[in-house]
Amino acid sequence: MVAALIAALQPEAIAATALGSVLGLFFGAIPGLTFSMALALMLPFTFGMPAVPAMALLLGIYVGGMTGGSVSAILLGIPGTPSAAATVLDGHPMARNGQAGVALGAAVIASAFGGLFSLAVMMMLLEQVSALAIRFGPAEIFALVLFGLSTICGLAERSMVRGLVAGVLGLMLMIVGLDELDGVARLTFGTVQLQQGVNLLVAMIGLFAVPHVIAMFLDHGRGEPRRVPHGVRARLPSLAQLRQRLWLMVRCAGIGTGIGAIPGTGGPIAAFLAYDHARRFSRRGERFGEGELSGVVAPETANNAVTGGAMIPLLSLGIPGDPATAVILGGLLIHGLQPGPMLFSTHIETIYALYMAIVLAYAVVLAVQLWGIRVFVRVLEVPPHLLAVCIVVLCVLGSYAIRNSTFDVYLMGVMGLLGYLLLRLRIPIAPVVLGLVLGETLERQYRTALILSEGDHRIFVDSGPALFFYALTALTVGLHLLSVRHARRR
Amino acid sequence: MRLDRLDRWLGIGLAALALAWLGLAFAYIPGARGEGEPGPRAFPILLGVLLFVLGVMLAAAGFGSARRRAAPAQEIEPPTRREAAVAAGTFGLLMLYAFLLEKAGFVAATPVVILLAMRGLLGLRAWLLNLSMAGGVTAVCWLVFVVLLETPLPRGSWWWLL
Repeated sequence: MVAALIAALQPEAIAATALGSVLGLFFGAIPGLTFSMALALMLPFTFGMPAVPAMALLLGIYVGGMTGGSVSAILLGIPGTPSAAATVLDGHPMARNGQAGVALGAAVIASAFGGLFSLAVMMMLLEQVSALAIRFGPAEIFALVLFGLSTICGLAERSMVRGLVAGVLGLMLMIVGLDELDGVARLTFGTVQLQQGVNLLVAMIGLFAVPHVIAMFLDHGRGEPRRVPHGVRARLPSLAQLRQRLWLMVRCAGIGTGIGAIPGTGGPIAAFLAYDHARRFSRRGERFGEGELSGVVAPETANNAVTGGAMIPLLSLGIPGDPATAVILGGLLIHGLQPGPMLFSTHIETIYALYMAIVLAYAVVLAVQLWGIRVFVRVLEVPPHLLAVCIVVLCVLGSYAIRNSTFDVYLMGVMGLLGYLLLRLRIPIAPVVLGLVLGETLERQYRTALILSEGDHRIFVDSGPALFFYALTALTVGLHLLSVRHARRR
Repeated sequence: MRLDRLDRWLGIGLAALALAWLGLAFAYIPGARGEGEPGPRAFPILLGVLLFVLGVMLAAAGFGSARRRAAPAQEIEPPTRREAAVAAGTFGLLMLYAFLLEKAGFVAATPVVILLAMRGLLGLRAWLLNLSMAGGVTAVCWLVFVVLLETPLPRGSWWWLL
C-alpha cells in the first residue's frame, strides 16, 4: 500500500493525473468533442511513459470527461457527453432561472461524490460484483435495457403516447446502417456513409443544439427578457441543500455503480434511471424539468458512479463496458497489465496506485471546476444571439471532428430540423435520444438471446434477474400511469 | 390551432409514416436466414407496427376529445412567418456550411457563414461587430482545433483548381 502511495504521488504521476483531468474536462465540456476521442488521441503519447503515470493520464481523462459533460449541459442546454443528457433536463432550466452557478457547483460535488463512492464500492466488492455481472447473458441485459427504456414514461412530459412515439423514432433512427449481426445494410439506399449508421453524438448535437439555436435567433430583437440574465455569480449549493439530498446521492451512486458494472450499459442509462428515480420519489416531482436541483444532482452522481462500476468488469475480466473503457483496456495491455484474476496477484501495487490516481483525479476535477465555474459562467454573459452563432460553428466542427466527415455535418443539420419539428409537434426530444442510446444494445441482446435459444422465447423469462428487471419495468410504467391518473383527477 | 386537431393530424401522419417504413423494411431489408434467428428485419417491422399503433391511438384520442369536449379546447400557437423563416434559414445555413466546408475549407467557409448568420438571420448591420465575430471565431477555432488539438479540419477541394 505504501509503495502504491509512493508510486501515485510521484511528480510525473501527479502531473499526468492533473493534465488528464483538465483535458477530460475540456473534451467533456465541448459538445461534439468526446473524452473517448481524447483518450484515443492521448493513448499513443503514453507508450514511452511508465505504467502508473500513463494509466493515471488516461484515468484522469476518463474522470474529467465524465464530469465535464455537465458544463455545456447546464450552460448551453447541450450535453457534452451522452451521459450528461439527463442533466440538461433540469440543469439548463436552472441556468435560465439564474442559478447556473448553483447547478454547476452541485454537479461537480455530486460528480465527485458519485465517483468516489463507486471507487470505494469497487475496492470493496470488485471480485464479488464482477462475478455477478459476468453471469448476465443476453436475456438479462435485454431485460435491463428494457427497464432503461421504461424511463421514457418519466420523460414523456404531458403525453405518454407522444413520449413513446419519440422513443420509437429514436429506435428507428438506430436501425439505419449496417446490421452488425448479419452484415446487412438496412435502409441505407446505397449511401456508403449511412452504412456506419446515425452517429449518436451527431444526432445528439443536432437534436439538442439546433432547436436551441433557432430559439436564440428568434429571441433576438423581440424585446423579451433574456433567457440568461447578466451578472450570474458562481454559487455553491448550501450545506443544507446538499444534506437534504445526501440520501438521494447515496441511492443514485448505488444505481450508477451497479449499472456501470454491467458491460454494455453505461452512463446514459444510469443517468436517466437516476433522474427518473429522483423525480418519482421526490416531494417536488412536479418541479422536475423546470430547474429542480435534485434533477442535476441525481444524474451527475449516477453517471460518475459509473466510472468505478465500469472498472470492475474491466479490471477483473477485461470486459470494457463502453468506448472509453475499451481505450483504457488498450492502455492496460500496452503497459503489460493484463486484466483478470492474475492482475491482483502480479500487479497489486500498480492497481492500488491507480485507485489513488482516481482519487487524485477527482480532487483535481473538483478544484479546477470550482475555480473554473467563474470562467464557465462567463459564457452566459455573451449575448445569446452571438453565442448562438458560436454554437453553430461548434456544432459543425463537433459533428465533423467525430469521423472527419462532412456527411455527418449534413446529418447533424437534418437531425436539427427533425428536433425542431418534433418540438413544434409537442413531441419530447429526450426519449428520441434514449431510443438511440439503448436501441442498439436492446436489439443485439434480443437477437443474440434468440440465436442462443434457437428461437425459443422462453429464454427471456427463464432467469431470475431478467424477471426482476421486467417487474421493475412494469412497476415503473404502472406507477407513471397511476400518477397521471391521480394528477388528472386532481 | 386546437390541440385535438393537432393530435388528429399528427396521428394520421405518424400512421402513414409507419406504413411507409414497413413498406421500405419489407422491400429493402432481407428476412431471417436460419430458423430460430429473428433476422435483421424483425426489429424494424416491430418498430413500424408500434409506431402505427401509437399513431392510431393519437388520432383516436384527437377525434375522441373533439366529440366529448366539455371545456374549451386547448389552443396551441402556430408558427409565425418569422419563426418559419428563421428555422428554414438556420437549416439552410447549416447545409451551406457543410457544402462550403467540403469545397472551400474551414478557414474560408466559417467567416462567410458567420457573416450570413449575423446579417441574414439576425439582421445585424454593425459591420465592425460582424467582421470581428467572423474573424475572431474563425481564428479562435482554428487555433484551438487545428493548432492545439491537431484536429484535421477540411481544407477544401476548390483550392486545387487555382
